[in-house]
Amino acid sequence: MYIFQVAALLIALLYYGNAQTFTVAVNSTILGSELSADGLKQLAAAVASQSPVFQPSRGSYFSLNLLSAFPEDLEVSDYCVELLAIFGQRYSTYVNCLVSAARPVKVCQNCYGTYDNLMEIYTNISSDQMGPGNVSCRDSLLRSDRLMLVFLLYNNLKDIWTGSECNSCVSLGLHSLTNDTLYFMATLNQSLRCFEKFQQGNHSALCKECKTTYRGLNELYSRMEKNRTLCIDIEDSMNMTRRLWSKNFNCSFPRAENVPVIAVSSFMLFLPIIFYLSSFLHSEQKKRKLIQPKRAKSNTSLVNIQDRLS
Amino acid sequence: MANITKKVSWSSRGDESGGGERTPLLNGSEEVRYTRQLSGDGGMFHIGRLSTVDLEEDMTSDEDAGCPKEIPHNEKLLSLKYESLDYDNSENQLFLEEERRMSFLGFKCLEISRWVICGLIGFLTGLIACCIDIAVENLAGVKYFVVKQNIEKFTEVGGLSISLILWAVLNAAFVMVGAVIVAFFEPGAAGSGIPQIKCYLNGVKIPRVVRLKTLVVKVCGVICSVAGGLAVGKEGPMIHSGAVVAAGVSQGRSTSLKKDFKIFEYFRRDTEKRDFVSAGAAAGVSAAFGAPVGGVLFSLEEGASFWNQMLTWRIFFASMISTFTLNFFLSIYNKKPGDLSSPGLINFGRFESDSVAYNLYEIPLFIVMGAAGGLLGALFNILNYWLTIFRIRYVHRPCLQVMEAMLVAAVTATVSFAMIYFSNDCQPLGPDQSEDYPLQLFCADGEYNSMATAFFNTPERSVRSLFHNPPGSYNPLTLSLFTLTYFFLACWTYGLTVSAGVFIPSLLIGAAWGRLFGILLASITPDGSIWADPGKYALIGAAAQLGGIVRMTLSLTVIMVEATGNVTYGLPIMLVLLTAKIVGDYFVEGLYDIHIKLQSVPFLHLEAPATSHWLTAREVMSAPVTCFNRIEKVGTIVDVLSNTSTNHNGFPVVVPVAASDDMGKVCGLILRSQLIVLLKHKVFVELARSRLTQRKLQLKDFRDAYPRFPPIQSIHVSQDERECMMDLTEFMNPTPYTVPQETSLPRVFKLFRALGLRHLVVVDGENRVVGLVTRKDLARYHLGKHGLEEMQLAQT
Repeated sequence: MYIFQVAALLIALLYYGNAQTFTVAVNSTILGSELSADGLKQLAAAVASQSPVFQPSRGSYFSLNLLSAFPEDLEVSDYCVELLAIFGQRYSTYVNCLVSAARPVKVCQNCYGTYDNLMEIYTNISSDQMGPGNVSCRDSLLRSDRLMLVFLLYNNLKDIWTGSECNSCVSLGLHSLTNDTLYFMATLNQSLRCFEKFQQGNHSALCKECKTTYRGLNELYSRMEKNRTLCIDIEDSMNMTRRLWSKNFNCSFPRAENVPVIAVSSFMLFLPIIFYLSSFLHSEQKKRKLIQPKRAKSNTSLVNIQDRLS
Repeated sequence: MANITKKVSWSSRGDESGGGERTPLLNGSEEVRYTRQLSGDGGMFHIGRLSTVDLEEDMTSDEDAGCPKEIPHNEKLLSLKYESLDYDNSENQLFLEEERRMSFLGFKCLEISRWVICGLIGFLTGLIACCIDIAVENLAGVKYFVVKQNIEKFTEVGGLSISLILWAVLNAAFVMVGAVIVAFFEPGAAGSGIPQIKCYLNGVKIPRVVRLKTLVVKVCGVICSVAGGLAVGKEGPMIHSGAVVAAGVSQGRSTSLKKDFKIFEYFRRDTEKRDFVSAGAAAGVSAAFGAPVGGVLFSLEEGASFWNQMLTWRIFFASMISTFTLNFFLSIYNKKPGDLSSPGLINFGRFESDSVAYNLYEIPLFIVMGAAGGLLGALFNILNYWLTIFRIRYVHRPCLQVMEAMLVAAVTATVSFAMIYFSNDCQPLGPDQSEDYPLQLFCADGEYNSMATAFFNTPERSVRSLFHNPPGSYNPLTLSLFTLTYFFLACWTYGLTVSAGVFIPSLLIGAAWGRLFGILLASITPDGSIWADPGKYALIGAAAQLGGIVRMTLSLTVIMVEATGNVTYGLPIMLVLLTAKIVGDYFVEGLYDIHIKLQSVPFLHLEAPATSHWLTAREVMSAPVTCFNRIEKVGTIVDVLSNTSTNHNGFPVVVPVAASDDMGKVCGLILRSQLIVLLKHKVFVELARSRLTQRKLQLKDFRDAYPRFPPIQSIHVSQDERECMMDLTEFMNPTPYTVPQETSLPRVFKLFRALGLRHLVVVDGENRVVGLVTRKDLARYHLGKHGLEEMQLAQT
C-alpha cells in the first residue's frame, strides 16, 4: 500500500512536470516523511484521477474535470491513447526500478530491461509511421501543446540514463551487461569475499591478505577508467570498496617517515642560510664610485636654499 | 665632503610625518641643521635620522673630498652607463635634402610598411608565446610525471625523502640551466624585463636590452625557470620578448647575426624604433593575457609621453594579431584547429553562472580586500627591496648568482614537498579530473591531496584551480599555509638572476587569500553559501594582490577584465586596484619602480617633483659645457671624444663672439654618434677640396651605423689628419631647443617629457651657451621623506 502511495505521488510530481525527474526520487522520500499519510493519500488520489494515463476513458465524466469533450476530429485517437497508457505503465515500472536501485547504485544492472521497454514504446510513439486508421501519434501526443509532457517525461529519464553512463556497461541493444562489467563484478565480489573472511579479526591481517585482490581490482578499475567503460554502478561500487578499504579497515599507507623527511628538509632549508651568511662575510661588498658632476660653481643649490629660506 | 653629500632638504610635507622631534621648517633652528649637515662631523645623529643612506655616506666618507668616493650601492644613485634615446629629430641639411627627394608615394609606402611591421611584430610575438607555452607545458609535464611516479612508488615501500631529493634536484637542474645562460651570457635578460621596457619607453637606452641575444636568453631562461618550479610566471618576460621582437623587426636587420635585409632602412633611428617597441610591448601583454586592449593601455600607461592616435591604432593592430596568432597556433597544438578560444598564455577561464554575480553590499568587502592587497603588496615590496639591495651588494658574482637561484629552486621544492607531506587535507577526485597530477600520498583511495593541487603544479594551473574549483575543494588551513609560504617564496624569488615574471605569483598569492576570505565569509554568514562564491573572491584577491605589488592602474584593470572575459567585474576590479594603489603607495612604491631605482636609472616620472619650482635651469644644468666651433679642428674633436672622464654625447656648436669671451653664441647641436660617423668617413674640409669626386655623405650612412656606433678608440686618425678641419654646418641640428637661465625645473621637465629631449641648451640673454641640461640633471631630483633630495652620479 505504501509503495503504491509513493509511486502515485511520484507520478503526481512528474505530472506537474516542474521538478526534474532526477530529484524526484529524493523529493518523494522527503515529502513522504513530512506529509501525513492521509494528506498523501488525498493528494495522490486527486492527481491520479485527473491523469489521463490512468483513467483515459473515464476522464471526461469526472466531476473535477471542468472541460467537456472536444469534437471528434480533434480528439486523440484510441490507438494513441492506448500507446500512452502503455507508456505510462512502463514509465512507472522504470521509475520504480530506479528508486529501488538508488542506493547502493545499481540503476544500470537492474533497470536496463525496463529502460529498454520504455525506449521501445517511446520510439513507437515518436515514429512517424502511420498506425492503424492512418494516424500518427507523434503529432497528437508529443507536439500539440506548449508543455509537451510526454516528451518532457521521457527526456528526464533519458537524462538520468545518459548521466549514469549506463551505455558503457550495457551491451548494444540493451540485452545484457557487457563482459567488462561482468568481469569487474566478479573481481569485486572476490575482494568483498576476502574482506568478509578476514573482517572479524585484526584489520592488519585483512590489509595483508586482501592486498593482491584489492590491488587487482584497483588496476582493473583504472584500466576501465582510461578506456571510458565505466558506468555509475561500477564507479559507486568501487568508491564504496575504496572507502571500506581506506576508512573502515584503515589500510592506506601510514605516514611513517617523518624523521628522514624532516631531516632532509631542514638540511635543505639550512643551505640558503649558509649561502647568504658566507656571501655576506666573504664576498667583498660592491662599491660605487661617485662622480663629481660638473656644476656652475658660483651659486650652488645649498646656498640658494638658504637664501630663499631666510 | 659638503659638495658630495649634498642633500637638498626643502620640506613642506615632511612635517606631519617627521614626528615630534623634527623641527618645524620655517624657524630659527633650521639654519643649525644645515650647518650641521655641511660640517658633517657632529651631525651624525641628526643626519642619520634623515635617511640610512646619509648615515652610510658619512661613515664611509672620512677621507678627503678630493679623491673619488666609493659608497655601497643604494637606491639614491644615478648610473652613468645609461644614456638617453634621441627621440628628437635632428633636422639637419641632410634630413631636409632627403625629405625633398622623397616622393608622395614614398611617404605612402612608409606608412604601409609601418603597418606591415606591426603585423609582423604581432605575429612573431604570438609565435614566441606559443613556443614558450608548449615548451613549458611539456617540460613541466615530464618533470611532474617523473616525480609523481617516484612518489607513488615510495609511498608504498617507504623512502619518500628520496622523492624529495629527486624533486629538488630536478628543480635545481632546470633552474641552473636558466640561471647560467642569464648570468654568464646576458645579464640583461634577468627578471621580468618590465622595468627595463618601462625605462626604454621612458626614453632611457638600457644597454643590450633589445638585442636578439637577450631575446634568445630570455625565452630559454623563462622556460627553464617555470619548468624548474620556481614561484614565477612567464607573462612578464613576454612583454620584454615582444619589445625585442619589435626592435629587431623594425630595423630590418640583425647586428648580432650580421645580416642586413636592406628593408625598413628609414626606421633606423630612435624615434621610430621606440614607437615600434611600444607596439611590441603591447603585443607581448596581449599574448600573455589575451588582452589586446590591455596591451595597448599598458604601452600608453608606461610610455605615455609620446603618443598619437595613429600609433595607438597601429599598436592595437599588433596586439590583436599577436593574440590571434597565439590562439591559432595553440588551437593547432591542442588538435582543435580553428578554435580560437584560448587567447592568452594565462587563461583565467570563464566566470559564468549566477553564483559569480555580485551585489551592492559586496562592494565594501571588495574595498577591504583591496586595502589588504595594498598592505600585503607593500610588505612584499619592502622585503624584496632589502633583498635586492643585499643581492646587488654581495651576490654580484655570476657563479654566486647561479648558486643562489639553484638554492631557491631546491628550497621551493623542499617546502612544497614538506607542505604536501604533512597536509591532512584530502579531497575526493572529481569526475572531470581538473587536476593534472593528482597526488594521493596518504589519502584514502579515490582521494587526492589538496595541498598538492596548489604546490604540485605550474603556477598558472594553480591559479586557475583556485578560481574555478567548486566550493569545498580547499580547506582554510591549507589555503592559509599556502598563502604564507608562497608569499615568502615569491618574494625571495623575484630578483634572482633568472628570467621570470612576478604577475603569476602575485595572482596566486592573492587568489589563495582571496579564496580563504571567501570561505570564511561563507562560514560566518548564515546563508553565505549563496553569494560568497570562493572563486569570485579569489579573483578579487588576485587583483588586489597584483595591484598592491605592481601598482598599475588602468591597464591592469583592463587586463584583468579581458583575461576573465567578464565585463561585469570591471567595477569591482577597478575599485580594488584603486584601493590597493592608494594604500600601497602610502608605504612604498611599486615593485617595478623600486627595481628601476635600484638599477640607478635616470627615470623621468610623469611630473617634476612637487615643490621644485624654485629651482631654475641655472642650478640644474651642467656647466661649463664642451662646445665645438662651426668649423672645428679634427684633433680637438678626437681629443674631446676620447676623454674618458667626460662621456658627453651632445655638443653645442657655437659661433665665437668676442675674443675675450670663451662661450660663443649657440648655432646648433651635434651628437657624438654623428661626429663618430663623420670621423669614420673622414669628412674633412681639406679632403673634400682635394677630391672633388668624393661621394657626399648621406643620412643613410648615419643609419647604417645605428644603433651600435663604433667607439672612438676604433677610429684611426693619423697625425696629419688631426690638423685637418671639419665643417659641422651640414650635419648639426641647426635649431636645438634652448631655454633661458631662469626657467624653472618643472618647465624644463615638461619640455623633456613632452618632446623627448636629450639635450637642452641653457643660454643667457645674448644667446650664449651657459650650460646644458640632460636627463640625468633632471632625474636626480626626487621627493624624499624629508623634502626634495638630490641623487648622486655613480659609476656602475
